[in-house]
Amino acid sequence: MFFANIRLIFLRELRDQLRDRRTLFAVVVLPLLLYPLLGVLIFQVQQFLKEHTSKIRIVTADDLPPQPRLLDGGKLAAEFGDPRHIEIEIVPSSKSFDDIRSQSQADIALGLCDAVVYFPPDFAQQLARIRAGNDKREDKPENASPETQIIFDAARDKSRVAQQRIESILLHWRNSLGESNLEASNVSAIAARPFNLKQTDVAPAVRRRVALWSKILPFILMVWALTGAFYPAVDLCAGEKERGTLETLLTSPAARQEIVCGKLLTVMTFSMATAILNLASMLATGAFIVSQIQRMGAARIPLDISAPPISALLCLLLALVPISALFSALSLAIAAFARSSKEGHYYLVPLLMLSLPLMMLSIVPGAELDLGFSLIPLTGLLLWLRAFIEGQYFDVLRFSLPVLGMTALCCFFAIRWAVSQFNNESVLFRESERFDLIQWFRYLHRNRQVLPTAGQAVLLALLILLARFGFSLAAPQPTSWSIMAMTTLILLIGFVAVPACLMSVLFTRRPVHTLLLRPPAFSATIPIAALLAAALHPLLLWLNQGIAWLYPLNPLAAAKLGEIEQMFLAAPLWQALAVICLAPAICEELAFRGFILSGLRQGGRDWTAIFITSAVFGLAHGILQQSLGAAVIGVVIGFVAVKTGSLWPGVAYHAVHNGLSVCIGRLTVEAIDTHSILRMLFDSADGQILYRWPVAIIAGCVALGLLWWLKSLPSSPRGEILYRARPATTWYDRPIASRLEHQHDAA
Amino acid sequence: MDALSYNAKMIEVRELSKSYADLRRGQFTALAGVSFSARPGEIFGLLGPNGAGKTTLLRILSTVLQPTSGTAIVGGCDVVAQPALARKQIGFVSANTAIYDRMTAWEMVEYFGRLHGIAPEPLRERMESLFARLAMNEIRDLPGAKMSTGMKQKVSIARALVHDPPVLIFDEATIGLDVLVARALLQIIAQLREQGKCIIFSTHIMREAERLCDAIAFIHRGRILTTGSLEELRDRFEEPDLEELFFGLISDNDQKVPSSKFHVSGLPERALLT
Repeated sequence: MFFANIRLIFLRELRDQLRDRRTLFAVVVLPLLLYPLLGVLIFQVQQFLKEHTSKIRIVTADDLPPQPRLLDGGKLAAEFGDPRHIEIEIVPSSKSFDDIRSQSQADIALGLCDAVVYFPPDFAQQLARIRAGNDKREDKPENASPETQIIFDAARDKSRVAQQRIESILLHWRNSLGESNLEASNVSAIAARPFNLKQTDVAPAVRRRVALWSKILPFILMVWALTGAFYPAVDLCAGEKERGTLETLLTSPAARQEIVCGKLLTVMTFSMATAILNLASMLATGAFIVSQIQRMGAARIPLDISAPPISALLCLLLALVPISALFSALSLAIAAFARSSKEGHYYLVPLLMLSLPLMMLSIVPGAELDLGFSLIPLTGLLLWLRAFIEGQYFDVLRFSLPVLGMTALCCFFAIRWAVSQFNNESVLFRESERFDLIQWFRYLHRNRQVLPTAGQAVLLALLILLARFGFSLAAPQPTSWSIMAMTTLILLIGFVAVPACLMSVLFTRRPVHTLLLRPPAFSATIPIAALLAAALHPLLLWLNQGIAWLYPLNPLAAAKLGEIEQMFLAAPLWQALAVICLAPAICEELAFRGFILSGLRQGGRDWTAIFITSAVFGLAHGILQQSLGAAVIGVVIGFVAVKTGSLWPGVAYHAVHNGLSVCIGRLTVEAIDTHSILRMLFDSADGQILYRWPVAIIAGCVALGLLWWLKSLPSSPRGEILYRARPATTWYDRPIASRLEHQHDAA
Repeated sequence: MDALSYNAKMIEVRELSKSYADLRRGQFTALAGVSFSARPGEIFGLLGPNGAGKTTLLRILSTVLQPTSGTAIVGGCDVVAQPALARKQIGFVSANTAIYDRMTAWEMVEYFGRLHGIAPEPLRERMESLFARLAMNEIRDLPGAKMSTGMKQKVSIARALVHDPPVLIFDEATIGLDVLVARALLQIIAQLREQGKCIIFSTHIMREAERLCDAIAFIHRGRILTTGSLEELRDRFEEPDLEELFFGLISDNDQKVPSSKFHVSGLPERALLT
């Protein structure tokens, strides 16, 4: 039944789309016309550039040197380059260069000429003097070679073409002059060119041929897969909402999952068809143009754009399946949210904006398939495809697990999002309402909940990230410890803690509950959390090292970090502890485990909330290498906060973790050598202080035990657990409703 | 028909509530504890002004919306616990359930028949008899975009009847129809009652209810004000005119419950967001 319904829905949607002229035009006709049209256009421009005659004015006070002759009967001599498309005009003038410059500027602007060549007065005499070689001391200014100027306007295409043409001719003429100078001094012309430079490209012909395609094809494929998915998705969801047929389908026996799957398959089909047709049309046009250019006997083509090998194309087609699945699911979820096709189309640009940078990242020079890049969605897949096309099969095999795993994970989440959008009636039956900012604020305040909503949590997260980003751009690079401590404290208190507290007071009825400020149900959890931090510290240090190995810090950032570390070390210990461990422990916990986690937990899924909070927590740490480690710590603290229902164990964990890091940073090799306890804990080989591995393993076991103990804690049935949203049932919501109403009236 | 003999109540709605967040009105209660039941062979009329909660109630019955609280059982299936089974018991025709523009009448009805899992041959026979009964053979190959409102409504009814459901729901089904087509529709509904279907007919037009319904419930601001057969209601309120009766009930109710107090309740907003 399941598959039968999916097949039915898929076939119907497919037929429906194929009957829609707009879709057919966008998917089939447009690509088949677009590339040939583009090709013709490029051809025309090329032709224009080639056949357009450049008007070049030559300004000279007197005659040019007689041998070799640049000008031959009022024309440029043919031996220095093709003079066919150059029309010259010789203007004798003895004005100063500045006058000629302004005159030329005006004439180029009027189109009277495209470029001006200016020969200084006495040009021929100076050349003759150099040829005679009377004075060999060239450091005297009056003995320098004369300067010939090309005056052009780089902002005008015609002028730039003229400049390139005349420059090439003048350079050839100069060489020829130099050679004749040598001949005059009885020196062989070879003396000026003591060796020849030749290049041997060892890249096999196939790789040379695919070098360009391997960068462009995957990129084009992705862009079209996204565009091809988006329009049908909007028509299938927002369009059906608009036309009222979605509700008809929802009342049929087909389950929501079956509807989503059927629609997803349809969107995927169109996404793949669009990508394939575009690719085919582009390749065909490219091949046609190449053959045309070759037939016309044009010299060489700078880029080899003949067809890529068949194996590369097959590989692209295979990779198209997960790419289309990902984009289709994303588009479907977004389209399900939109109320109308018009609104749906507005969402294309943000979607493109989000995915384009990831795609562009793969074209950046230096981006190569390694573990780090392969774990970035889209980028990893693009690099993997490129390696496949280039025939580096060993790399392809080596990184297929992370690349395909990451892609599968993204697909899974995108599809899950799409399904949840379809199960969400507030999304399906969203009515259009006029949006009014003041009314919205009033609504937020009037209807403020016991705890923050998920939307408010996301808002605070975005605010903190924005503040962090803006701050790092605007604040000057700290030059001393006191400045650094100041900026850190301002950032933490002003942009992390204060917004969190303000939002809790403004938008919730129970700020203390929101920020988890009450003590934990079991006070033992505070020291346990501190102990957990100490026990996990060795493993987290290892993790950080692993991250640093996987994603090496670029030297510039490393140098910057080194400077900051020096400042730390120079500061008094108590100040360093206050700024690096106490302030972040309190401020960041208030915002992340307090407001943001409480808000996100309203979704009803604790672990999802913990992971999202940790991801934001990581992002707020700025540098990628720090972010990954911080995100892992965020998960641990999030778990502690959820289990204990209080902020304080998390604060203890955070403070101890940061404190240990500060203290280890201050340990010296000598200190370790002199104290036997330190020697038992740390290994100071290579001057780098690390935990000994048995210590790390024992501590890890202790940490596991502590985590197990925390897991077995009974959830205290207080506060947010009582208020947490569940699928609403009467017995459950009534008491809260009446209580709230009571409060509301009292207020 | 076997199921009907021992299950006297085809539709059983108990204490059904639905509320959701609304930017302007705050927490909006669309339904507040609605209860009623309907039997096979009965046309149950749901009367109320626009925005009374009729559509919300019927959307919950057709499992498109989830109730905030309460239960609804359709043909023995709970709409929350067994939505797929419940949908099979229902044929749903509403002003909001349009037909596909790019499908012909025949394709449209066939598609929904297939979704109901009817095998091709019985489906074809069923559709032939349906198309003949509803006099739809001349629009058989006409795409939805080219149909008039009346034709579209016929296709919707054929679509709702294709799986021969015991329960039929008509939500404001006569909106936008001319007198002739509306009259034909009411005749079709009366015929369906003769076949023993349980029919819910929601409308804001009193005359339609008077002509058609066996039992009537007045719904206003999410509550059922009163319910009973036409005669019962006339006797109870000593008012022969249904429109006057309804108007009197509404003004009584509005004096008792000021609108603002009723509409903005303190139910948590997230009840709907989950």
